[in-house]
Amino acid sequence: MSSARPNLAIVAACVVALAAGVAVFLLRPGAAPDLDDASASVGATPAAANERLPANLKLAELDGRAFSLDDYKGKLLIINFWATWCAPCLHEIPVLVTMQQRYGTKGLQIIGPAVDDIEDARRAAPGLKFNYPVAVGTPEAMLDLMSQLGNEQGGLPFSVVIGADGLVLERQLGEYSEVELAALIEKNLPN
Amino acid sequence: MPPLIRFASLLPLAFALSASALDLSRKPPGGSELLPADQAFQLVSAQRTAEGVRLSWMIAPGYYLYRQRFAAEPADGGAPLAALRLPKGAAKHDEHFGDVEIYTEAVDADLPVARGQTAPTRLKLRWQGCAEAGVCYPPVSRIVDVAAAP
Repeated sequence: MSSARPNLAIVAACVVALAAGVAVFLLRPGAAPDLDDASASVGATPAAANERLPANLKLAELDGRAFSLDDYKGKLLIINFWATWCAPCLHEIPVLVTMQQRYGTKGLQIIGPAVDDIEDARRAAPGLKFNYPVAVGTPEAMLDLMSQLGNEQGGLPFSVVIGADGLVLERQLGEYSEVELAALIEKNLPN
Repeated sequence: MPPLIRFASLLPLAFALSASALDLSRKPPGGSELLPADQAFQLVSAQRTAEGVRLSWMIAPGYYLYRQRFAAEPADGGAPLAALRLPKGAAKHDEHFGDVEIYTEAVDADLPVARGQTAPTRLKLRWQGCAEAGVCYPPVSRIVDVAAAP
């Protein structure tokens, strides 16, 4: 009997402390809500088989000129959503500029819709030295477009890669590194 | 060792182990899963105080809010409000934005109201943040009702 008492004390201590630890964890400031189905994966996600973009998606360039994604049929297309308030986007854009310069003559076309106030995008564009079309619209319209293309949460940067045959290849939430983007492009260039 | 003393001596260790084990299990590892913005950054309270309005946000582990991107204005077009009073945040250097301050875990902001003036009952608030995994959320804009003082 006497040897059972210390064991009982150990068990009781563990139970009380575990309960207290759980309570403190759940009630602490910044406690995370449960992950649910609304969460999205950071990184690349392969597209479904034979997936295509919605037809007839129209955009407007910085100077107001309208264009359609259908204008780029037959090219490897990367639609890269960005914004002036998004530091990872601003970090990724020089990589995209390099890719457009390196592979543009081989059938790559990048398009950069700005999820931003139009004037903010216009002010930032010269400094970012885009060598591909930047699309603008209201932030709400761009969020809606991004949702249509598979990003309902609106996180940036976000890219959709479409092969020359019009089939969606993959989506990327977060930055591409130069190495992984170059490999993806070289693997899928039409020329 | 008497059982009661042994019980008491084990409490801190068991407490620390259980809390830290739970915490490790909930942190997004490198941010592979991304929460919706309203779960990453939750406005949990907007309440009148003796000095004005206190606003409180909770921030999920692995996410942060920019100090410079909070804003408050009258929801119904009333008189301009004083600037939000925000605590000093953690320093962060960004190659594009320069030196900025960020908040993690939680932040309280105070909206002061001059003596003799009535605190607003509805506010239009704006905030913006990112996940440490390298994804940023669009600015969130919400119209909120301010609760009466407790």
